[in-house]
Amino acid sequence: MFVHYIDLAWRSLRQTPLVTFLMILAIAIGIGVTMTTLSVYHMMSMDPISHKSERLFAVQLQTMDDGETWRTPDDIPYQLTYTDAINLDALPGDYLRAPMLRSGFSVHLNTASSKPFIENTRVTGRDFFTMFDLTFLHGNVWTEEQERDAAPVVVIDEEMAKQLFGKTDVVGESVFLGERRHEVVGVTQKWRPTIKFYDLNNGSFGKAERMFAPFSHVKAYDVDTWGNTNGWKFEETRDFNDKMNSEMLWVQFWVQLDTPQQRQVYGDMLMAYMQQQQKPGRFNRETLQYSLQDVNAWMNYNDVISEDNKILVGLSFMFLAVCVANILGLLLAKFMRRAPDVGVRRALGASKRQVFYQHLVEVGVLGLLGGSLGVLFAQLGLLGVRQTYNYYAGLANMDWMMLLSAPVLAISACILAGLYPAWLVCRTTPATHLKVQ
Amino acid sequence: MFELKPTINALMRSKLGAVLLILQLAITLAIVSNAVSIIQDRLTYLNKDTGYPEAEIFKFNALNFDKNLDLLQQVELDEQSLRDLNGVIDATAVSSVVLSGSGSSGGMQLKPEPQESKRVNMGYVTGDEHLLNTLGVKVSEGRDFTEADVVVIDESDARPSVIIVSRALSDELFGQGKGLGETLYWGADPLTIIGIVDTMANQWPKSSFGTKTAMIPMIRVGNFQKFLVRTEPQARAQVMRQIEELMLASHRERVISDVTGLDQKKARYDAKDVLMMRMLMTLIVVLVVVTALGVFGLSTFNISKRTKQIGTRRALGARKSAIVRYFVVENALICSVGLVLGGAAAVLLGQKLMNWYSVPALSYHFIATTAGLLLLMSLLSVLMPALRAANISPSIATRSV
Repeated sequence: MFVHYIDLAWRSLRQTPLVTFLMILAIAIGIGVTMTTLSVYHMMSMDPISHKSERLFAVQLQTMDDGETWRTPDDIPYQLTYTDAINLDALPGDYLRAPMLRSGFSVHLNTASSKPFIENTRVTGRDFFTMFDLTFLHGNVWTEEQERDAAPVVVIDEEMAKQLFGKTDVVGESVFLGERRHEVVGVTQKWRPTIKFYDLNNGSFGKAERMFAPFSHVKAYDVDTWGNTNGWKFEETRDFNDKMNSEMLWVQFWVQLDTPQQRQVYGDMLMAYMQQQQKPGRFNRETLQYSLQDVNAWMNYNDVISEDNKILVGLSFMFLAVCVANILGLLLAKFMRRAPDVGVRRALGASKRQVFYQHLVEVGVLGLLGGSLGVLFAQLGLLGVRQTYNYYAGLANMDWMMLLSAPVLAISACILAGLYPAWLVCRTTPATHLKVQ
Repeated sequence: MFELKPTINALMRSKLGAVLLILQLAITLAIVSNAVSIIQDRLTYLNKDTGYPEAEIFKFNALNFDKNLDLLQQVELDEQSLRDLNGVIDATAVSSVVLSGSGSSGGMQLKPEPQESKRVNMGYVTGDEHLLNTLGVKVSEGRDFTEADVVVIDESDARPSVIIVSRALSDELFGQGKGLGETLYWGADPLTIIGIVDTMANQWPKSSFGTKTAMIPMIRVGNFQKFLVRTEPQARAQVMRQIEELMLASHRERVISDVTGLDQKKARYDAKDVLMMRMLMTLIVVLVVVTALGVFGLSTFNISKRTKQIGTRRALGARKSAIVRYFVVENALICSVGLVLGGAAAVLLGQKLMNWYSVPALSYHFIATTAGLLLLMSLLSVLMPALRAANISPSIATRSV
């Protein structure tokens, strides 16, 4: 029966090519616009590390004096001071933790033929790789001793290894960061989350780093951040040592806490830490405050989804509503014109339900055709987005979920538009139309 | 004259078609007027004068990795070789690049820290006495920096004592037209305003303090150094191509990166707004097309449904023009209701958008203009089917079906 209905639908659509074309065009344009904005929205709001996002926490401490405000909803600064990062890293307990910042170096092989290039580098702790799911292809992360002694070691990813050496198994090779020789101890698989959720300070969709160095290098080699440094009070900083001892905020800190108990214990530990820091005159406040936010909360807190995109998604759904109203009008026209046919069908024994069903199938076919064309339009739209704004290149794409939801959305929209006309047409009383004929 | 009553009566008999059109027109008006308002806002920003001849200026970075290098000496060497280059008007090492979206910002105040006083946010750039000339701006009051003003930050305690600010910054601190010769405080350091530039955007032209800019005659060298170069208008591309070779020839152990025109920097900073504008424009165009198709489709259908009636009217002596007028009037009626509703919806949507997002208030003339254009579009799309209806032969009324 279903196949028969599809056949009927196809005949009916071919009978009125202009109206069919207009309807398909309307739904395709509606879907095209909606899917373009929705795809970008979907990529922006996607959980970047879904299997453990609720166990990874960004740590924030309220270090500012009473009365100071910050541009976050809860007035707690995004980043930590170097002092706090080092102290939190040293807190006891069996959980993963990683202080981190983005820096950069001129990288070369110290040979006449190798041209130095600038490479962003994540300077972080050993746990970073386990916490954020980086896979080692060769070698491993630097050892605890190497971390403690600030040994000149680095981890690079496969892409960079190929760029430098033409192969991926380069453990034990030397690269130069500036004038310093570093040994490659590990090579990771390429790791490029679309959202740079672990460091949202300089744009949410920047490229993840390809090179990693121990956090102890900060002090040992005066490795300054290439990201934001925020101050909240006047401090005279003459050199890097002053900066490390200042109240300036420039380090990020993540922990992995697997159970609510762990979270509780960790929170208590943070409170105790802040109280202890009050003795030397820091945390000059009535009430001490910390914040642990998991990955999704953190992205929300940092407004990862741009305002423009939210507006566009809203407007495009309104636009889709216009398309649905448009199709509804056209369907009404089309179905009513066919009332005499339906009269004959009804007279020959088709039930109301069958007529209704038949028309909905027709509308569904319309939706499928429109949806498929809409996906093409959306691809064009996304191409336009990528061309206009290179930074969105990784976001302006449709994944399989979006590809599937396009026809689903199109069919639902069409069926919504077709319900009333189909109901109207199935109520046709056979007699009136038979008489006239 | 317009036969309003029969038209309305006929409309009341088949309400749904009219309601759908009203709905379409209302939503279209709400979306389009708000979208146009947002586009207008972005356009105003994009067309705003930054004060710089952006197409004549470019920037680049040099990252040194030779520990034994005398950085200050190298910077001066680099500046000199840049200025000697054919086609270059001026060049200077800077702390950050205007219009680029990254750099240093802070507060300027009327009294030294930690005293409480009026504080104005601004973006600042430090460089030597070539800074203003390289950026292609001139002081409209006071004087430019001289070599004696420039301070090198090193082990000594030397601090700059003078500053040049944009008019927006001095006006905000000292009041309209005042500020020249006054002293402001940067942290605890006093700085005397020796010059004011009328228009001079900072690193974040889009921000609320985008026009508040300070130029400080100060050199602090580091391994990572940014340079700005202004060239003869036609010479920029050719000078930009030589930069890497020129810089590496004078010192090899460094990386030259991001040789980019100031206009390109600004374009990158603005890319998001351009994207938003393009998306909204696309939305408007397709929306208007879809609505026009809707009006067209529905009137075509209505006319074909009423073929007999039209024939009868013609047979009873109605002129062709009366038939056209009937459909145009009918459409105008529907359209007016839709646009009135749409106007209200537009205001509502505008308020919501303004509450939730940083969108400017929707001014009513956008709604009025959009409504006028939609009415015109709607009448145009009804005209063709109406003219066809007028050509229906009276004889059709006498035939059965």
